[in-house]
Amino acid sequence: MKRLLLMLSALAGISLLYTGCTKEPLNHLTSDESRIYITDHDSTVNFANYKTFSISDSVAVIRNGTATKELNDLDAAYINAATKYMEAAGYTMVSNKQNADLGVDVNRIISTTTGVISNGTYWDYYGGYWDPYYWGYPGYGYYIPYSYSVYQIREGAVSLDILDLKNASENNKINVIWTGLIRGSGIFDASVADSQVKALFDQSTYLKAN
Amino acid sequence: MKTIKIMVAALGLFLISQSATAQKKNLKLDLNYNYSMPVSGFNSDLVRDHSPRGFMAALMYPFNDKLSAGLELGFQDYYQKYPRQLYTIGKSQNVSAVLSNSIQTTPVLLKAKYFPLTTLFLKPYLSVGAGANIVDFKQYLGQFGSGQTNVNFRAQGGLGVLIPFTKVSPSGINIGATYDYAPYNRLGYKDLSTVNIQAGVTINLK
Repeated sequence: MKRLLLMLSALAGISLLYTGCTKEPLNHLTSDESRIYITDHDSTVNFANYKTFSISDSVAVIRNGTATKELNDLDAAYINAATKYMEAAGYTMVSNKQNADLGVDVNRIISTTTGVISNGTYWDYYGGYWDPYYWGYPGYGYYIPYSYSVYQIREGAVSLDILDLKNASENNKINVIWTGLIRGSGIFDASVADSQVKALFDQSTYLKAN
Repeated sequence: MKTIKIMVAALGLFLISQSATAQKKNLKLDLNYNYSMPVSGFNSDLVRDHSPRGFMAALMYPFNDKLSAGLELGFQDYYQKYPRQLYTIGKSQNVSAVLSNSIQTTPVLLKAKYFPLTTLFLKPYLSVGAGANIVDFKQYLGQFGSGQTNVNFRAQGGLGVLIPFTKVSPSGINIGATYDYAPYNRLGYKDLSTVNIQAGVTINLK
């Protein structure tokens, strides 16, 4: 009996140690450390061949499969930051009526369930939410020439896209030539929008006008 | 690997043959705190920090004064956070992230201990063990993680000393060290080998 009690005590102790010994990684991340910045681009494109850009006047908010165009303080902060860093990269902003070389849009993705951003979901939604008419190319379709990775969504994301409007007529479609994705804690906060967009541009050194 | 498997089989057969001829003896329970230091590829590729979060427990059957064998179960938690860095994936994708590795190992080993100098008060010993290493590996980019659990091979060699509570007591304090060879072949990583320092007690189960 004594032996059994001793062994049971040892087993209980081992179980406690097992659960108590593990260092949970998510408990050791700051908000800044929790964020990831993913950029991808069409490696055949020379970004120095473009001079002007136009940016969307609102943000497409994609919420569990439905989308709305919104412009609150947070959205304005992301649009302003994208404008600032496009200009810092040497591009000149023009209105969307002035045949810009590049189109820039901002999207906010909110999901309360586990979803996926992929070519087959995000871009299906996207195609319907940003009408090519906005950029002056009604009836055109979008095309993404590189493989867009699949990302699990739990809490939301902000994405920026750069579209090739300069060659849309020649290609008969609007190529998506750069995408940037921001994910992690605290990104739906206007005060951090500038630093988040800056991070995307900082890691995209090829994104420069002549 | 083939040689090691043959050695494990030989160890198993030896222990079975010894238990068949041995007289009835009291089992011994080893309970040890384990401090683990990743070495080789484990250290350079996955986790540099030492892990103070571990333990091992073994139920040992003494065949005679010099030789005992049994089953050992352990647990160790490894964690490493690397500063933010830019990772290039394919030819066009860049990911900036703080990368964290979280690895839990649960070795289940057949173990033998040999005490060459039983007449001394301090009883030095050599140990060998081999068996399974259950590995739970999670890797996080920022707060986004993925992981997998699988079973791998593990072999162990060690030495230590048993300090009996009294001159005649079979129980005592145990201090030892092991080298654990732990091959791993997942996600491009090859090795989870460690050097371990242990301290604890050996209890005679009456």
